[in-house]
Amino acid sequence: MTESGFRSAEDLPEGVSGHLGNLILALADNKRLLGIRYSDWLLGAPSVEAGIACSAMAQDEWGHARILYALLRDFGHDPAALEHERASGEYHSSELLDRDVASWEEFLALNFLWDTALSVQFEMLAESRYEPIHYKVRKLLEEERFHFDHGQGWTSRLLSAEGGRAALTGAFGAAWNACLCWFGPEDDPLIATLAAHGIVRRGAAGARARWLERVGPLAAETGLAREADAIWASTREPVWECYLAGRRRAAEGGPDEDSLARVRGDRNRELLMD
Amino acid sequence: MDFGAVLRETQGGRDLPPPPAFAEPAADLAERARRALYEVADPEFPISIVDLGLVRGVEGDEEAGAVTVHLTFTATACPCMDFIQWDVRERLLQLDEVGKVEIVTEWDPPWTTAAISARGRKLLRSVGVVT
Repeated sequence: MTESGFRSAEDLPEGVSGHLGNLILALADNKRLLGIRYSDWLLGAPSVEAGIACSAMAQDEWGHARILYALLRDFGHDPAALEHERASGEYHSSELLDRDVASWEEFLALNFLWDTALSVQFEMLAESRYEPIHYKVRKLLEEERFHFDHGQGWTSRLLSAEGGRAALTGAFGAAWNACLCWFGPEDDPLIATLAAHGIVRRGAAGARARWLERVGPLAAETGLAREADAIWASTREPVWECYLAGRRRAAEGGPDEDSLARVRGDRNRELLMD
Repeated sequence: MDFGAVLRETQGGRDLPPPPAFAEPAADLAERARRALYEVADPEFPISIVDLGLVRGVEGDEEAGAVTVHLTFTATACPCMDFIQWDVRERLLQLDEVGKVEIVTEWDPPWTTAAISARGRKLLRSVGVVT
């Protein structure tokens, strides 16, 4: 880092703390929900190896969520309340994670497209001037490398299988807009403020471009991305009509009842003993 | 919740190799504490957390009887984090001069197998774990 860092949320310039806390909460909620979606496939994946990978990825996501929720203490939140006491409408997770996914191709949309979208946002925080996150991101990204490899490998495999391309085209197409919107509109004041203070490396458009660079080569085979002069672009424009900037999602609602009970650990807490 | 009673019952029975033979006595509290951590086993592998490379640093305040341990973990979702931290505290509080233990978790640089000591590698090989 060339500029001096911020050692705690208290040191952040006015207006930045709220935006950063909001972004970290969105990342934490998405990680927690994504972990559940991965865990849904422990026993239903197409191969034993894929099931084991789902188990490992679920564990990673929950570990990442735990670290991020704990970090929100620095922003005045009570991590335990965030993890266990919120209603569905208070979650800042993607609509893609609101309910379980019915097919392996939908799972791959989460694994390859959505998980990568989250990782790209972490890449943007890798050299953040907010030091508490800066010092955690490298470990998170190192663990995420395997998630990308898994999603990429299975996507390639399905693209070359009979019927696989059509299935992926449908599933990826359904998830595409949520991914595009995750990074925020080009003039997103939240991200722009964070970029201006060196909290994130690039603004919304830069992060979206980075995501397209990572998923574009395979997404192109479903018609969702194209490359020109070594720059990857989406073939669809993001649709912002339903975008909720405060919750960083492109639809109303939140996790369904079953997901909410699991994400909050309601049943686990019934078993807690003093 | 205090998991202490459960942990106290579950951590016994492990065969941990003896700590290295140190030629010189420990110079200060930090070194005494670091050496004591050779007696804290990783919950999954039969080597100490020092040999596994989880201990990033130890500071001691002789006057206050306080020790600060900088720890990392192999994975962010390591299910044994609480166990390890409990064992670190438990062992260090057995030192007569220690009344307070603080644990600081560090993730940067990320842990890799390169952090395992030569002694740790040898011990792991002896139980069939190749690093």
